[in-house]
Amino acid sequence: MSKYDPIVYQDGKRLFYRFSAHQRVQHVILFSSVIILALTGFPLRHAEEPWAKPLYHFMGGPELAPLIHHAAGSVLLALFVYHTIYWMALFYKNHIGKLKRENRVTPVNIIKEFFSQEMVPNKKDLMDIIHLWKYLLYFSKRPPRHEKMSWREKFDYFAPYWGIPILGPAGVALWWRDEFSHFMPGIVLNAAYIMHTDEALLAVLFLFFVHWYNVHYAPEKFPAATVWLTGYLTEDEMIHEHYAQYVRVMIEQGLEDQIKPQHFGGEEYEW
Amino acid sequence: MYKQLLAKLIIAIVCFYGFGDYSYAGDELNCVLCHKFRGLSRIDKDGKFRLFYINQELFDSGPHRRNKCKDCHTDINKIPHDPAKKVDCTQECHMVEPSSTEKFSHKSVAKVLSKSVHSPVDKNGKEKKFKEDYPGCKDCHDQPFYRPFSIYKGQLKAGVSKRGISRCKSCHTRGDFAEDFYEHVTTRLRKSRFPMETIEACAKCHQDKAFQERHDLDDVVTTYKQTFHGKMIALGSERTPDCLDCHVVEGENTHLIEAQDVPTSAVYKTNVQATCRTEECHSKASAKLAGFQTHVTYDREKYPLQFYMLVGFKALMAFVLYFFLLLIFLELLRRLFPGFSFFKEKNNNSGDN
Repeated sequence: MSKYDPIVYQDGKRLFYRFSAHQRVQHVILFSSVIILALTGFPLRHAEEPWAKPLYHFMGGPELAPLIHHAAGSVLLALFVYHTIYWMALFYKNHIGKLKRENRVTPVNIIKEFFSQEMVPNKKDLMDIIHLWKYLLYFSKRPPRHEKMSWREKFDYFAPYWGIPILGPAGVALWWRDEFSHFMPGIVLNAAYIMHTDEALLAVLFLFFVHWYNVHYAPEKFPAATVWLTGYLTEDEMIHEHYAQYVRVMIEQGLEDQIKPQHFGGEEYEW
Repeated sequence: MYKQLLAKLIIAIVCFYGFGDYSYAGDELNCVLCHKFRGLSRIDKDGKFRLFYINQELFDSGPHRRNKCKDCHTDINKIPHDPAKKVDCTQECHMVEPSSTEKFSHKSVAKVLSKSVHSPVDKNGKEKKFKEDYPGCKDCHDQPFYRPFSIYKGQLKAGVSKRGISRCKSCHTRGDFAEDFYEHVTTRLRKSRFPMETIEACAKCHQDKAFQERHDLDDVVTTYKQTFHGKMIALGSERTPDCLDCHVVEGENTHLIEAQDVPTSAVYKTNVQATCRTEECHSKASAKLAGFQTHVTYDREKYPLQFYMLVGFKALMAFVLYFFLLLIFLELLRRLFPGFSFFKEKNNNSGDN
């Protein structure tokens, strides 16, 4: 199904496949447009601050910066639509297709297949969260063992699915305010203004503090993770972050005898 | 008598030779002889600091540069002079208004101002409460400056274009008439102040808390600055509207700002849509655009939609960020004692989490 091998070897070290080139390009487009949107949007949101004017002028000033903002916003919306189609196509191919082949297409099975996708939250995520709190509050020594997508990564993934439906339409309404006023009362623009600016602040603070902590600032990641560029995780990273997936992949690849224990805090935990 | 004559002679000689470079055409009494000193100031009997320094360079870049000092300061007849009276801008000055043969005066502006919301008397001629709060000319207008611009070879630029003005000067050769007229006209072809200056002029009163309370007004300046219009201006744009663009009816005298409840006001409920939809602004919009609320205070009673949305978003933001920041904090803390646990677990694991 995938043209990528689950495990590749480089300089004698195992690397584990995580993101395809297609997905990595989507991510680069996503974060580039978000960064450009933030750099052209936040000086406006905080126009009275001393840093706002120089930054806004660096980003093109009152004439050019709005054009850049609109262009980046359009790219982000297009990517959002594209990714949703991509995701639905994958679901159809890999899940509905399987049901069709096995002649089991029923609503219940479709729902079951939906929840079996790697990005969709499931019961294991709930258990992982509970386990995480046990671990954080010193009731357990061992951190949770995540599958390919941990609950935090799923939250990161679905954050745009909550942010863009709020930010996008509000942004489009504010952009085409004259045209929109033909079928919307003016007060909708007041609402759009709050939606756009406050949701943007939440998104940027979340990305800057939480997402970047998860992927870049955390002690074992600092100064930066490379998976978004290479698409592969090292064995250490796999053991640390995705132990359940690590064990599964190793068994699937017939490397059961080479599985390393989960190590944390100077102790090792057998699988 | 002899001494006085000698003093006058010395002053005359000094004025003529010593300060020749500093005197200007309008200064027939040689006022600048003293007023050019930057430190010329005193504390008046009310304890207020008064600066009497005249920056000639600034004065020369404004529309009053052809006026003589005495045109406005009419009560000064000798040097050194007694404390001068406040200038009355409505008096006739000695300039002749070129479109007629009459002496110029700002009286017509004062007349319009008296019909506006800023007049200290109401339409029945009765004095309003707190009449001292109402502005006179100088509360909004300090020494104004010309902001000429030129269009040469299709390019719009700030300042006087030498090539552009050379066309005027081929006929109007006498003195600085061409420069004066050019600056007079081109300055008025656009807004003579940067929008931010206009906003700050209104803010002098309208952002003052005590003033707002006395007149039962919202903080309209702060709320304006929170709008897209206000923010773009703060970032240096001149294309979004300042206070005057929305509060003066299109084509009307700028001094005629009327209260929201006056039917001829630009912001009267049935007129707002026309004000928003002028040719330069939201010309493509429908009248519904006027439903947009500009001066939103986020007051629960007055603006419930905005209030609850704001509370909702702030709560969401606080919840999401505090949750994850707490998690990060606990995780970092967990690393300090990695091997510790209240419960003794089996080495291998509990469940498959």
